[in-house]
Amino acid sequence: MRLCHLDDLPDGDSRGFELRATGRDTIFVVRQGASLHGWLNVCPHHGAPLAWRKDAYLDAARNRVVCGAHGAQFEIHTGLCTLGPCLGQALTPVPLTLSGDGAVHVAATFTEETTP
Amino acid sequence: MNIIGPDALVFGVDDVAACRQYLIDYGLKDAGGGRFEALDGTAVVIRAKDDASLPPGLGTASMLRETVYGVADAKTLDAIEAELRRDREVIRRDGVLRCADDMGFALAFQVSVRRPLALAAETVNAPGAAPQRGPNGIGVTPDMPALPRSLSHVVYFVPDVAKAEAFYKRLGFVCTDRFTGVGPFLRPAGTLDHHTLFMIQTPPFMKGCEHFTFHMGGPTEVLLAGTRFVEKGYQSFWGPGRHLYGSNWFWYFNSPLGCHVEYDADMDLHDDTWIARETSMGADASQAFLFQYREKWAPSGPPPGAKP
Repeated sequence: MRLCHLDDLPDGDSRGFELRATGRDTIFVVRQGASLHGWLNVCPHHGAPLAWRKDAYLDAARNRVVCGAHGAQFEIHTGLCTLGPCLGQALTPVPLTLSGDGAVHVAATFTEETTP
Repeated sequence: MNIIGPDALVFGVDDVAACRQYLIDYGLKDAGGGRFEALDGTAVVIRAKDDASLPPGLGTASMLRETVYGVADAKTLDAIEAELRRDREVIRRDGVLRCADDMGFALAFQVSVRRPLALAAETVNAPGAAPQRGPNGIGVTPDMPALPRSLSHVVYFVPDVAKAEAFYKRLGFVCTDRFTGVGPFLRPAGTLDHHTLFMIQTPPFMKGCEHFTFHMGGPTEVLLAGTRFVEKGYQSFWGPGRHLYGSNWFWYFNSPLGCHVEYDADMDLHDDTWIARETSMGADASQAFLFQYREKWAPSGPPPGAKP
């Protein structure tokens, strides 16, 4: 399914998307130029959401994903937790495709309800 | 030892501007100098993580750098100093006693800065009981204030909960209740509140602050403040609900402070005649009930599309 246009993603920052009607972002995307990194909004520690505010998934320098639960830090490119309660675990990747016209797509499976 | 409870929590954070806005939106007052105060003057203090005036970090993701306890008087400071000098370095300067606990958490003790509050608690009318709110008294209005009144408690992740508890017992904390294999709820001698400190056994790489919370005026204020916080875009983590141990209403949120931040209200009080309960930790033991935020909605009139 179409997620948004590339221009709708702030360069160097993160944005969340609610794909299931759960009242919270299902996935989030970090844009670095034309590179997009999609992750499930699920911390490996408790399975709880990462952002501390809508769309706020990164540290102040915008070079790490940070969990708003206990400050766990994750590499933006690999999703690997380098500090925090889920040390050594990783975020769940969400494959994204970017078309020539700038449309960003996500696999329809991420819109379906799943049992936690 | 007449320790009342936490006067302040000091954090060394990554994103000072984000934390500042967060704490203001949570309901604390910007008192200047990185200090964000509840109505009684208890506070959260925010500094940049590399601020040289901060005690060292814990070496984990935790941003908590110091827990400042308020005590009744200088005599209590003397007693704490005498007890702790037996086995550790203690610094006393300008009326503040500083040391570290047995897990490495930096502590400070001072004569409490809490200002006395004269505010009504939430009132309830119920059949069989005298009205708490008389005729024409209104229970809830859309614009009623719901502001944090007083710093209630802090929760630590610790790698050796037995050793950590033993340290606080030396300072007169008593266990009010316990989750088996997890940790104790601790009440210092200067308050009747069920707990001002709870500790959770975890691996060493998790050591730090799990959450802190401020007391609100009642459950309505917890739900009202939490709803307003969600409406500003902040992320609910757990709640609203009501805990069993302590009976406190709760609502926890994610934060940029590296820990959860809670609103709580209506905690049980205990005295020295209380006998601590103990149970296994789990969903049923943690709460009497749990709800989840949803957008406001109301049933009204005929189904959509029907003729009036």
